[in-house]
Formats: sequence, structure tokens, C-alpha cells
Amino acid sequence: MNRFLSKDFLSGLMFIGFGLIALYFGQKLALGTTVRMGPGYVPRMLALIMMGLGVVICLVALVTNAEPAEKPKWKPITLVTIGIICFALLFERAGLLPALVVLILIASLAGEEFNLKEVLANMVVLAVVCTLVFKVGLGMNITILRGVW
Amino acid sequence: MEILDNLALGFSVAFSFQNLMYALLGCMLGTLIGVLPGIGPVATIAMLLPITFHLPPVASLIMLAGIYYGASYGGSTTSILVNLPGEAASVVTCLDGYQMARRGRAGAALSISAVGSFFAGTVGTIIIVLFAEPLTRMAQKFGPADYCALMALGLVAAVVLASGSVLKAIAMVFLGLLFGLVGTDVNTGAQRFTFDIPELSDGIDFAPIAMGLFGIAEIVVNLERHLTRTGTIKVGSLWPTREETRRSIPAILRGTMLGAALGVLPGGGPTLGAFSAYTLEKKLSKNPGEFGKGAVEGVAAPEAANNAAAQTSFIPMLTLGIPSNAVMALMVGAMIIQGIQPGPEVMTKKPDLFWGMIASMWIGNAMLVVINLPMIGMWVKLLTVPYRFLAPAILLFCCIGAYSLQNSTFHVIQVAGFGVLGYIFSRLGCEGAPFLLGLVLGPQMEEYFRRAMLLSRGDAMVFLQRPISLGLLITTALLLVLMALPSIKKARKEAFQEEG
Repeated sequence: MNRFLSKDFLSGLMFIGFGLIALYFGQKLALGTTVRMGPGYVPRMLALIMMGLGVVICLVALVTNAEPAEKPKWKPITLVTIGIICFALLFERAGLLPALVVLILIASLAGEEFNLKEVLANMVVLAVVCTLVFKVGLGMNITILRGVW
Repeated sequence: MEILDNLALGFSVAFSFQNLMYALLGCMLGTLIGVLPGIGPVATIAMLLPITFHLPPVASLIMLAGIYYGASYGGSTTSILVNLPGEAASVVTCLDGYQMARRGRAGAALSISAVGSFFAGTVGTIIIVLFAEPLTRMAQKFGPADYCALMALGLVAAVVLASGSVLKAIAMVFLGLLFGLVGTDVNTGAQRFTFDIPELSDGIDFAPIAMGLFGIAEIVVNLERHLTRTGTIKVGSLWPTREETRRSIPAILRGTMLGAALGVLPGGGPTLGAFSAYTLEKKLSKNPGEFGKGAVEGVAAPEAANNAAAQTSFIPMLTLGIPSNAVMALMVGAMIIQGIQPGPEVMTKKPDLFWGMIASMWIGNAMLVVINLPMIGMWVKLLTVPYRFLAPAILLFCCIGAYSLQNSTFHVIQVAGFGVLGYIFSRLGCEGAPFLLGLVLGPQMEEYFRRAMLLSRGDAMVFLQRPISLGLLITTALLLVLMALPSIKKARKEAFQEEG
């Protein structure tokens, strides 16, 4: 196992990375003085401290026997994220129904078992429930199917 | 007498038909989501946040509190019946509760836990009433430097509770503080880290972060774990035997006291309360060998402590505006969205909200006993629905909820983004709770820090010259030093190992 692939080392890198992002995008913000701080003072201070902590975390991880990071399972997180993004893209353009069908289909693929009949049944039930609860019950201003309802 | 007047005001607010309905709805929804295996109170509240936003402030907080208690009760139910704790605090309940269920005493375990929780909740509410006023009066003396120091103490103390590395948890606090600064700078109007996205100029909305970080990430982790079910669930008689009652009453009393005391501490809360209560019962018991094999005290005490601590952890949040754990951070976030800045002013400026919420806590606890015991059959049915149906359904509700916040799909995208971030955190063993605390305290802390420095003409010594601030900072430093001591480090590691 590569010693650089421990949970702690990688999280140290993550903190350093976020710190660099904050410094890079915050470089135009005025620092100000300690009496009258500009908008950039506190973010820069926080980013620097966080990067310092990140470096310490990395060093500690290299010296000690840090817990190795598990190999991520890409399927669930990728599919769930794609599903939500598809939902966001379809919801206003096409309506709740198409967005729902796509989200449920993709999210169901993320699980270990996939049975088309069950997924279809799930879609029907959820479509009815959502329409009744959100459109009819709560009276939310949402389109069920663009151009139809 | 003033206390009685306040309580009368509170109950008059809480007993309005509308607020009673919201409390009931909150408890029902909280139980509904909380009973789903693998989903704890934080995820439940995060997912249900959007539905409370369109309510008036009092109703929304009453409903959120109801959701919180409902989720905790639901978590106990899953722990006892299927051995799947939704949160760290109910891990202990699993130990003996599930063993009782296997011996056919699930019903008794459930009713003891419900009655114990109700008793503890009542005591917790009384303690809040007694402590709220003096603490608030004390907090009103605080200057900007003192507040800054108090927040530092709150954040550090919360870190002590995050399992795993202290260093990582502190770094997570800083990351949370940074995320909290996104948006328009209050003092100068400058845009910070908004990347020219208009939606970000008011800051990153709190709800999508909470939903993504806790809700989505938790679903994904559950999908990976491939939750398996254990055979059929039999509840049996709800009535405990005389022997069980005799043994559980003192345990409930002790658990309540311990939990209520630990809940007030910054960084304390249900988990600490439940674990300590279990350990105490085991030490006091004449036959400790019974623990882990279905000892009734092992269910009664932690459940009472859990609920008492859940109740008293509202104290620092309501009086000082300092959240002591992730759930309270969510409550603070919800209050800010409602336009209420949590802190000592809430009680004086909005007494109806303050006391109404406290009164409704007790009502919510009473409702839960009613919801849980007679309707247990319904919750058990829900437990048998396979996760492959539930996961897509929860995702869908999260998406619609996120959209409903501002009728914007940008929020849905944010949920997806923070879901990925939450997943990375959980893979790298970084706790989400310190991040959330930093996030909600970030803007205020910066504000107080800048104001304190302005008042002192840029002299950072102001934090050490004011007695309150100095005392708080010394406590913070002591906590940090304590954490670094080898013996404490070891004990802490062991405590968290028992937990995981």
C-alpha cells in the first residue's frame, strides 16, 4: 500500500488545496489594516492557518502508520450525482414527470439490485404521490409536464 | 413567578391549533424519516429543512424541534428492532435493546425507551426554563471580543467530540468558516468567492449544504454498504414486566440526570450522554455480565440520557447562539434563514418565539409517546420496505425540497455538488459536524473579530485583557492541551472505538 494514499495524507492535501483556492481567488480582495480590516483579511488568515494544519496533517500521516484510504466505489456516487444534475436540468425545461423518471431510473441503477418492473412501479407511485402532495396539496408552482399541466 | 408567566406565554403560543399541528406534523415526519435504517437525526433534519422555510418563524422552529425529537425516537426504534442505529447516540441502545428484541421483549424495550425519553424530555425542558434567563442575562454583558472567544471555545469543544483526528476536525472547522464567508462582505460590500454567480452573492445557502453534506452523502454511503435485513420483526407485548419496571425506574432517573448535565456542555450532547449513562449503569449493576445480553437498564438509562441531553443542548444555542453539535448548527442555520440571529436578544426581543418553542418541546415529547407506541405496527411495516425503493424516493424528495427553497434549479445543482464533497469527507474520515459549526458561526465570528479589533485600534491583546474573553480563551487552550496529553488521547480513542 502506498503510504501517500492514507486517509490522513489525502485529507491534508484536500485542506491545502482548498487553502490555495481561497488564496488564489481572494488575491484581489483588499487586506486592509488590523484596525480597519478589508474583505480579504479574514479569508486570507483562515486559508493560511488551514494550509498550515493541512501540512501538519500530511507530515503526521507520513510519519505514523496512517489508515489507508479505502478504494472508492465509483458507481453510487457518480450515478447519484448525475441523477440529481439531470433532475435539475429537466425540472424547469420539461417538468416534474420527466425529471422524476430520469432521476429514479439513474438512482435505482446506483443500487446493487435492479429490477425494471420494481423501478417502474416505484416511478408510478412516486409520480402520483409527488403530484398530489406538491402540486395539489401544497399548491407549489411547478410544471408536471411542460405544455400539458 | 416570572418563570410561570413566561411558561404561560409559551404554552399559549404552543397550544394554538396551528402550532400544535406543526408540532405533530414535525414529529410524524421526523419519525417517518428517522425510522428508516441508516438515517440519523442530522440527515433527517437536513432533508426536511426546506419544508419549514415557508412557515412563520415560530411554527417553523416548532416543527424543526418536532422533527429532531421524532428522528431520535425513530432512531431508537430501528436500533431496538433491527440493530441498525441511525446515529451515534443510539449505538448504545442497540447493545441491549436488540438483545431484548431477540428474546421477544422488543415491545417492552420500546415502551421503556419511550417512557424514559418522555420523562427525560420533561426534566430537560424544566432545566431549560430555569437556566435560560440567568444565562441570557450573563450573555448580555459580552462584548465583541468575548463573543469571539466564546465561539472559539464552542468550536474547539465541539471538535473534542468529533471522532478521529483532532487536527483534521480543527481543519474542518476552518474550512467551514471559509465557506461561511462566501458572499457579499457586510462591512465593505465586496464580493468574496462568488465567481460572478448572482445566487452566491447572499452567501451559499445553508440548506443545500446541509442536504448535500449529510443527506445525499449518507444515502450514497448506505447504497455502498448494501444494507441487509434481518428476518421478521416481532414486537410482542408493549407492557414491561414488574421486574423490568422495577429495574428501569432508577436507571431512567440516573440517565436523565447525567444526560441533562452533559447536554449543556459545549460539544456535549446526546452521544456523550448516552455513552456515559451506559457505562455508569454497567458500573453500578450487581451483575454487569448481563449487559450486552439484554439488560433492561442498558436500554432505559442511555435512552433517557440521550433525550435529556438532546433537550438541554438547546440551552447554549438559545441563550448564547452557540451551537454545541451538528443538530444545533442546523437549528441556528434555520433561525438565520428565518431572519432571527440566535443569541441573548432572542429571549428579550421575541419572547413568544423563545418560550413558545420551549413549551412546544414538551408537547412534542408527549406527542411522540402517543405516536410511537400505538402506531408501532406502522413504523415496523416501513422498516420492511427495501432500501432500493427508499433511496431513489429520498433523493427525489431532496431534489424537490431544494428546488422549493427559492424556486431555483441552482439549489438542486448545489445539493449535488455538496453531496460529492460530503462523500469525499466521509471517505477521508473527515467529520461533517465541525464543518457545519464553522459554517454557521463563520460570518458572525468574522464580524465580532473585526469589530473587536476596530474597538481596540488593531491591538490583538484585547482578547487577553477582558476578563471574560481571557477566561474563555484559557479554557479553550486547556481543552486543546488536554487533547494532546497521551493518556487522554488513548482514552478518547478507546471511547470512539466502542462507538464505531
